[in-house]
Amino acid sequence: MAAINLSKMNQEEVIQAVIDHGGAGITKCIQCNACASVCPVAKAGFPLFGRLLFRKLQTGHYEEIIEDASSWACQACNRCTEICPRDAKPFEIVFAFRRMQAGELAISTSAFTPLMSLHATGHAVYSETSQELREQVGLPPVPVTSIADEKAQKEIQTLLDNGPMGELGIF
Amino acid sequence: MEKCGIYLGCNIPFKAPDIEQSFNKVFPKLGVELVDLEGATCCPAWGTAPSFDIDTWLAISGRNINIAEEKDVDIMTGCNSCFGVMSEAKHMIDHDAAKRKKLNENLALIDRKFKGNSDVFHVSHVLYDRIGLEKIKESLKYTLKELKIAVQPGCHILWPTEVMEVKEKNSFFPTILKELCEVLEADVPHYSALNACCGMGAMRSTDQARSFGLFKTKLVNMKEEIDPDMIVTTCSSCYLQFDGAQKNLRESGEIDFEIPVFYYTQLLALCMGFDPKNVAAISATPRDQIIQKIQSEARLIKQEA
Amino acid sequence: MAKVGVYVCHCGSNIGGVVDVEAVRKHAETLPDVTISRQNLFMCSDPGQEIIRQDIRDGLVDKVVVAACTPRTHEPIFRKVLEGEGLNKFFFEMANIRDQDSWVHAHDHDGATAKAKKIVDSAVAKAKNLMPLEDKYVDVTQAALVIGGGVAGIFSALELANMGHKVYLVEKDPSIGGVMAQLDKTFPTNDCSACILTPVMVDAGTHPNIELLTYSEIESVEGYIGNFDVKIRKKQAYVDWKKCTGCGDCADACPVRTPNEYNAGLDNRSAAYIHFPQAVPKKAVIDMTSCINCGGRKIGSETRISKKTGKPILAPCERACPAGAIDRSKAVDPEGEILDVKIGTIVVATGYKVMEKDNFKSLAPDSPNVLTALQLERLISATGPTGGKFLRPSDGEKPKTISFLSCVGSRDEKHHTYCSRVCCMYMIKQAKLLKEKYADLNIYMHFMDVRTPGKDFDEYYTSAMDMGIRFVRGRVGGIDMLPGDKLKIMAYDADLAQNIEVESDLVVLATAIELQDNIKPLAQKLSLTLDGSGFFKELHPKLKPVETAVEGVFLAGCCQGPKDIPDTVAQAKGAAAAAAVPLAQKRVKIDPTISEIDREKCSGCGICEPLCPYGAITMVAVNGSHPRARIEMTQCKGCGVCTTACPSAAIELHGYSEAQIMAQITALTL
Repeated sequence: MAAINLSKMNQEEVIQAVIDHGGAGITKCIQCNACASVCPVAKAGFPLFGRLLFRKLQTGHYEEIIEDASSWACQACNRCTEICPRDAKPFEIVFAFRRMQAGELAISTSAFTPLMSLHATGHAVYSETSQELREQVGLPPVPVTSIADEKAQKEIQTLLDNGPMGELGIF
Repeated sequence: MEKCGIYLGCNIPFKAPDIEQSFNKVFPKLGVELVDLEGATCCPAWGTAPSFDIDTWLAISGRNINIAEEKDVDIMTGCNSCFGVMSEAKHMIDHDAAKRKKLNENLALIDRKFKGNSDVFHVSHVLYDRIGLEKIKESLKYTLKELKIAVQPGCHILWPTEVMEVKEKNSFFPTILKELCEVLEADVPHYSALNACCGMGAMRSTDQARSFGLFKTKLVNMKEEIDPDMIVTTCSSCYLQFDGAQKNLRESGEIDFEIPVFYYTQLLALCMGFDPKNVAAISATPRDQIIQKIQSEARLIKQEA
Repeated sequence: MAKVGVYVCHCGSNIGGVVDVEAVRKHAETLPDVTISRQNLFMCSDPGQEIIRQDIRDGLVDKVVVAACTPRTHEPIFRKVLEGEGLNKFFFEMANIRDQDSWVHAHDHDGATAKAKKIVDSAVAKAKNLMPLEDKYVDVTQAALVIGGGVAGIFSALELANMGHKVYLVEKDPSIGGVMAQLDKTFPTNDCSACILTPVMVDAGTHPNIELLTYSEIESVEGYIGNFDVKIRKKQAYVDWKKCTGCGDCADACPVRTPNEYNAGLDNRSAAYIHFPQAVPKKAVIDMTSCINCGGRKIGSETRISKKTGKPILAPCERACPAGAIDRSKAVDPEGEILDVKIGTIVVATGYKVMEKDNFKSLAPDSPNVLTALQLERLISATGPTGGKFLRPSDGEKPKTISFLSCVGSRDEKHHTYCSRVCCMYMIKQAKLLKEKYADLNIYMHFMDVRTPGKDFDEYYTSAMDMGIRFVRGRVGGIDMLPGDKLKIMAYDADLAQNIEVESDLVVLATAIELQDNIKPLAQKLSLTLDGSGFFKELHPKLKPVETAVEGVFLAGCCQGPKDIPDTVAQAKGAAAAAAVPLAQKRVKIDPTISEIDREKCSGCGICEPLCPYGAITMVAVNGSHPRARIEMTQCKGCGVCTTACPSAAIELHGYSEAQIMAQITALTL
């Protein structure tokens, strides 16, 4: 791979964006690699996990990595946050990057279904077959959650529509 | 009777309602009245609002917690992800005045106000910390003597410890679920991958092959090190992975064994004598045999005169 | 009319690069009572000082204001200039336009210049009102106290004793030696720790000028430099040390098993025990917290006679002692004995401890095969629990693979943010010692980075690579417990860019160095402060590394911060030299900028007494019963708390009188 000319990378701007999206620990990472040693994303073989993602961001990479889906494999297990010696809260940085990707709709199409379902029913996961299953075990066909509650659905729609997610044109 | 708001989430009511039924059976028997949280929505799942905008995440979690506040009860979740999402949200709301202000601005749009007087608990926390092992022991009809369990606590209940109301003594070597199983008189040996990730959730929807790879490593570790009679979890996501993905691995020839999987309260309900048709009826990996074995004459606990 | 000279310093570009020095100088010229105003690149330089001298000699000035840096470092220099020209040296005032102005307002040149003028206004206003003051002196008691008998304390004590001073060496354990006495070998020469330390311990134990007080603790410290009154508690040993020969028969006879501190808890000792084989003094003690009072022989109980044998019923320890040093019927005070000593100067050398493994939950602390590095040190020592045989604690098998983890508790915001400085080197040492002895042992060293700043250190490290010791860059995030008491290290090899796992028989944690437990009460007794890292704070990190904010109290060794043995010995000798200065001078100067009570104005209300942080104020009966506050000048530090609190305005802080401070405030608010 050709050398990267760091003097031409926009480090400050990328770091600031990460901070603005909830990843204030980005400047603290010292590449000790503790997070990577226990990260499910790393162990499962995704290319862009913890320490490497943080180094890319610290050195101003953004356009180059925005389409990478690794961050969406983060399980939010927070084991990294528990052990990070710099208290950089690696999970929060991964999610900050996710939010930067999401803001540009750089997400997989499979992510849209739960979002639309959340907006419509209040539940990210829902299937019609559930009614049958519920009755099979002696429960009423629908639970008392937002699924059967129009007021609740209106409330969640208000919350979603009035935030930045409402401007993405997903719903 | 102690009251607790039962927060169902999505997976339990729509994919594994027999877990929901097991809550309905075991908690009243243990002296906890479950209070419905009408109109509760998704927590919201990690891949939704938390991946887009923190304030929207806090608004949705805050609304769910607020439903419990209105009923003057704490929240109990049966899903680790819901527990993680709402615990982190609550921690942020409690410790960041600006976020809390923004939250209440958002909730004002739907005529709600976050007060902060309901805490978030997990089913296993309520069982272990508020009900206690002794009371569980007294409620049992069948024993699990000489049955071997591999426990799967799941990750969102372990980390970050900073945000949790009830903490493990050592979150890297958790014992709460082990103790909950041991009170059923089962054998719960340690296996080295105890705290490893099952691969469910965001990873599975992003890349199923890699998710299954991670899952297989863990499942095989359980099998090789302790060869359990069953796998027991207190996470509905882990449950779906261990039960469902295990079938996938078997069908694709990746594994040649079968280990039945239970959500803990399903197993507890069976040990209390409840009908498996209600509390343990839906699974991809068969468990009829083990259920029969559990609820057999030979396992009846003799009541002291 | 005062004749005030103002001298504005550029301090190179420190001040001159921000503040318009010429504008400040010009401004000063316009102030009333200012007779002369000058500027110079470095006022503290010899030519700079000469300008002031000349102006004094020419009769142009009798009060001097230097607008420059901090009085903390530079006030003494300029006071000396005044003194040299026959002026009272307290006719000097410093205007700090660097630390408090140019450094903090580096980007606001106009604002900084305006502020500099204000600071000079204030200093000039005070200078006009300065009064002459005289230094005072007190005699110095000819004895030093060294607290802590590790390698730092031993060397400080020997150094002072060799200069001819009387030294009390106080150690809380039964023997001197400290952590160094627990080490097997030392880096980077691999010489045996006991071989180099034991002779020095003996020197300290036999030196005619050293009074060794082991198994003793500091009870209280009162007084001030040159005149400390120290109470030392000699803990109750329950063994008559005058008779004890250190034979160890009592320890052999004692049936109790309790964790052995000397072997870092890896094995057990008895309740009656000798600290370690090379102990100085080699005396037994009975640890009453674990003693089970065999045969009902509680301390001070009457001796019963056996009906069967007609002989007295004795505890095994009593029976075993051939010297008759243990007599449990004697009612001794469990609190021990208090010694009162008068001390001139004190060296604090209380050392450190290593963090216990229980603090590190992700690293399988419950496994018996996870050890701290200090435990490994004992495991490979000839005087250790296995007699130097390298065996796994879980089953006594010889390990095939061993993993070392660095920075455990160090460089970690959840524990200590500092680098413990010695871990990289001692881990390499331990690895090399093991590899030399067991060539087929697989050794993995997990580092964040290897830090080897020291003479011959990096060569020591690279030679370890040549021996086949494997270095992995990447902090270990977790350890899984495998069947058969093995451990799986989870790491990420930064250079391989790959997750790695290592199956090990033994894991060694290089846990951080930290201050001893229960050190805070001692710090309070000595009025010492701790720094951000939790160690004792030196007076200045570069120029006063062994001095403290308390005059006459000095620091040596790891209680001041992590350091290796060479640095510890160097600092111990430095602290001894510094502590010897007041002893050699035989009297010490007391700064006159302290508070004084006007007895006529004092109402005796007593408000000031509890407020004084140095305990310098006492209420003394005057004319029979009427109490009046009195300030002990040697204890007063001139903080001014009493002065501001006195409702009768009866307390004056010399050098900061009300008139002076009001003049400053007026100048600032004009």
